[in-house]
Amino acid sequence: MGISNFGYPMNKKPGSQTKLKKDVLEQSLCTGCGACVGLCPYQVVYHDRTVQLHDCDLTDGKCYAFCPRTPANYGQIRESLFDISDVTPEIGAVKGYYLSRAADPALRAKSQHGGTVTALLGVAMDEGLINSAIVSSRNEELKEEGRLIEEKSQLSDYAKSKFTVSPTVAAFNQLMGDVVRKVGVVATPCQALALAKMKTVRIKDGDKINPLNLVIGLFCGWTLSVESFHRLLQLYQISPAALTGMDIPPGKNILELYTNESVTSVPMAEVDACVRTACRYCIDSTAEFADLSVGAARFGGDCDEMRGWNQIIVRSYRGKQLLELAVAQGALEIREAPASALQDLKNAAAGKKRKALKNIVEKSRSVKNLLYLSGDDPVVKKYLSMEKKKR
Amino acid sequence: MTKLLSPARSKVLFLGNEAIARGALEAGVAVATGYPGTPSSEVIESLAHVASERNLYVEWSVNEKVALEVAAAASFTGLRSMAVMKQNGVNVASDFLLHLTASGTRGGLVLVSCEDPGALSSVNEGESRYFARMLEMPLLEPSDFQEAKDLTKWAFELSEQIGNVVMLRSVTRMSHASGNVICGKLPVKSRKAHFEYDGSVMDSSRGPMISTPVVAKHLLHQQKLKAVEALFEKSPFNRYFGAAKPELLMITSSACFLYAEEAIEMLGLQKRVGILKLGTTWPLPPKLLEKHLRKTKKILIVEEVMPFLEENVKILAAGLANRIAINTFHGKYDETLPSAGELNPDIVAAALCHILKVKRKTLPANYLSDSQKAAALIPAREQTFCAGCPHRASFWNIHNAIALDGRKGFVCGDIGCYSMAALSPATGYHTMPTLHSMGSGTGLASGFAKLAQFGLDQPILTVCGDSTFYHAVIPALINAQHNRADITFIVLDNAGTAMTGFQPHPGLAISAMKEAVPAVDIAAICSAIGAKVALSDPFDLETTRKILTSFLADKGLLKVLILRQACALSPEKKGKKIFDVKVNELLCLGDACGCNRLCTRVFRCPALTWDRTTKKAVVDEVICAGCGVCASICPQKAIVKTEASL
Repeated sequence: MGISNFGYPMNKKPGSQTKLKKDVLEQSLCTGCGACVGLCPYQVVYHDRTVQLHDCDLTDGKCYAFCPRTPANYGQIRESLFDISDVTPEIGAVKGYYLSRAADPALRAKSQHGGTVTALLGVAMDEGLINSAIVSSRNEELKEEGRLIEEKSQLSDYAKSKFTVSPTVAAFNQLMGDVVRKVGVVATPCQALALAKMKTVRIKDGDKINPLNLVIGLFCGWTLSVESFHRLLQLYQISPAALTGMDIPPGKNILELYTNESVTSVPMAEVDACVRTACRYCIDSTAEFADLSVGAARFGGDCDEMRGWNQIIVRSYRGKQLLELAVAQGALEIREAPASALQDLKNAAAGKKRKALKNIVEKSRSVKNLLYLSGDDPVVKKYLSMEKKKR
Repeated sequence: MTKLLSPARSKVLFLGNEAIARGALEAGVAVATGYPGTPSSEVIESLAHVASERNLYVEWSVNEKVALEVAAAASFTGLRSMAVMKQNGVNVASDFLLHLTASGTRGGLVLVSCEDPGALSSVNEGESRYFARMLEMPLLEPSDFQEAKDLTKWAFELSEQIGNVVMLRSVTRMSHASGNVICGKLPVKSRKAHFEYDGSVMDSSRGPMISTPVVAKHLLHQQKLKAVEALFEKSPFNRYFGAAKPELLMITSSACFLYAEEAIEMLGLQKRVGILKLGTTWPLPPKLLEKHLRKTKKILIVEEVMPFLEENVKILAAGLANRIAINTFHGKYDETLPSAGELNPDIVAAALCHILKVKRKTLPANYLSDSQKAAALIPAREQTFCAGCPHRASFWNIHNAIALDGRKGFVCGDIGCYSMAALSPATGYHTMPTLHSMGSGTGLASGFAKLAQFGLDQPILTVCGDSTFYHAVIPALINAQHNRADITFIVLDNAGTAMTGFQPHPGLAISAMKEAVPAVDIAAICSAIGAKVALSDPFDLETTRKILTSFLADKGLLKVLILRQACALSPEKKGKKIFDVKVNELLCLGDACGCNRLCTRVFRCPALTWDRTTKKAVVDEVICAGCGVCASICPQKAIVKTEASL
């Protein structure tokens, strides 16, 4: 009997925390979503790293069950959340696909693109669909956290895209069991998956009420490692505190960094070197497990016009309901997207899937070991075989 | 009147260390110094109690070298003085000691070393007897309490007679056991101090006190030791017990004499085995040894730790080879006795059985299996910090900061209660992988920090207590600053030399004799060195953690964090709780996912207990010191602290 387990027999089975460490953290698969954080005192987020502070020896822990990078029956999760007839292999369930923007020009001006997310959250709050929202917030050191918003008026303060990961799910974990709250979360794909797991994966955990009522997903190609991004900013002599926003204008293969004084263009190759390793193994670029997913519009050739619009995928009944309400109330403007836009999005999403699977196989050195994914999942199977054929 | 000042001819129950203090008083000691260290501390503490009554000067010095220097100054002026320390303290004092034995002394000067075979309260099994041989000074070893008193008194006389320092060695079982002592007279007259230095350089009673001319003084020094040999031949502290022609002769000293006596009695070997008990163990009196070595062919030397006596007796015997028949020596060299750890009567008895082919009355056959069964019922326990100990909170903070930093940082340990972080790793939350001598944590850290050019990229931390800081850390800290070592140095300032019983140190405004003295500020010293200095209360987990993580991220410089919170057992805190602490059972998650007993399984304050029936944590009110730290770590806010009513 080891001294660290004084008085208590060692568990034969490895604990969930150990598995999380071996399967996710040590494999550089951790997305920093915060799903394993805030559940217990053992995992915390520091900067954008998930840190295991002390050892826990429980074998059926929530940390492992909720992590978006642990194996699960993803087909079953899809089935329980969506109409299976809506599911597409490239971008998940699609009930509707539009271009959208907030009707309020002032809100659009404060937003990354069309202000769709903020407008939708506002309506959801007005209509009592939710009474609290969790969004990501960043301090001057680029350290992010999930921020709980209870007033609609505060929503627009957190409107911009952040490009670094936020442990948003950790903030949600704090609200588990809250019977009064109805929570809406703005989530990246990995965060949306973690939230989906929390809703659907059965684990021994008493009978805590899950107050999650709405997930608005964000399109996401990758996030930046805080440390590398800091170095990049240093290289371009931009203080993190002065950074007011950033964007990827279509077709230019650059990242633009905005301060009150200047716009700096960084070649994508330099940005790529700062991408979080975990993002290279992610097959979801459209937040497939959200009620609605929102991204920057990509259509036509007029960049300036495009900048003011989003593209939106409606996935669930709840998402559909919210979109209809927002349009009916005049908070959101939508228009039909050109047919090519959906196909472009699908192609891009499929490309990300193939690339991620290729990276996974390179890492595991076997097509039979897909880390957190399974070859039995039809979506995975499709892109894995395409990747094989390509070779 | 304290018992230490009992009248002559009264029989008093003294702790071994009190007997040594009484012996010093009877000898008319004027100045007594020391650095706290188990098992030596009570000698100075007892003398400090009677300092004003006996017009003594008693001090806790900053370290053992300085203690010996302060005592030597008194001797140079003709006063009798003593310096008291534990075994490894002699190492610290040894550089001065080398030069002191060469310059000689005037007033009787006794170096008392209380040693710890088996390392009951040490992290070493150091032996200072070899210093006596190496530095050519007389060594005395009492083997009972009366002798502890009498030998101490005589040590002063001997020192004065030969004009050199005399070492008196005790061990834990002597210093910390108690026995009856018949007191002698306490002197009435006291001496006046005056330093004479106008005489010839070769005149150690009037000339300058220096070790040069080295060779001439060395010869003089050796002549003095020769004179000692002659005195030792007739010393009443060397005695023989047993038959005129025993089959086996045991040669022993110190507490081992008592083990030897008891072993003989256990086995009923009084007629077959004799004991030569030596009170004067260096230099050995050759004639006395020759007389006893002639008694028999078989010799067993009984001593703890190193084979000091054995080697010296063998050297003498080799010189006597043509006069005594060569004997068979048993001891540590032939592995009859263990080469490390304490002895006891059983071990000595086993050695006698082995040599004399005697069978011991054995224990019942099932004794071993029965006792093993019973042992399994004893709850497993480990050394840990007391309830309310600031060190627990400090290491919690340190652990968390290292984990958050994520570069596998580590703490170089030092000597104090906080050494337990290295001795029982779970107690220090697995942060402290090195532990050596006083002050060496900082020296090691200074070294680790210079290995970046060879690829070492782990953050380096080190800790030391407040008393240790003054003792030996300052030079290492200056080394770190001068050589631009990037280390996070943490002073675990618990407001006293807590481990050895709250002796004052230079950081406090009170002396050993309870006089008001200026306190030396650690923060000011560190700032003056040029370090970046911060101060925090280890019980304030949030602030302390933030300072530590920012220090770890702040690369390329020396950072000092002083974590100040008095020891839970300190006289000013003892029994007083800041908070009443309770567990709200309804909120406690127990061993469920979401907590898994963080407080009782990981944090592990002894006041937090686990109720196996309710599967909840419970605060043991009797043990709880009311620090309230556990309330800050509970993820459920189930541990509730309220201002204590008292």
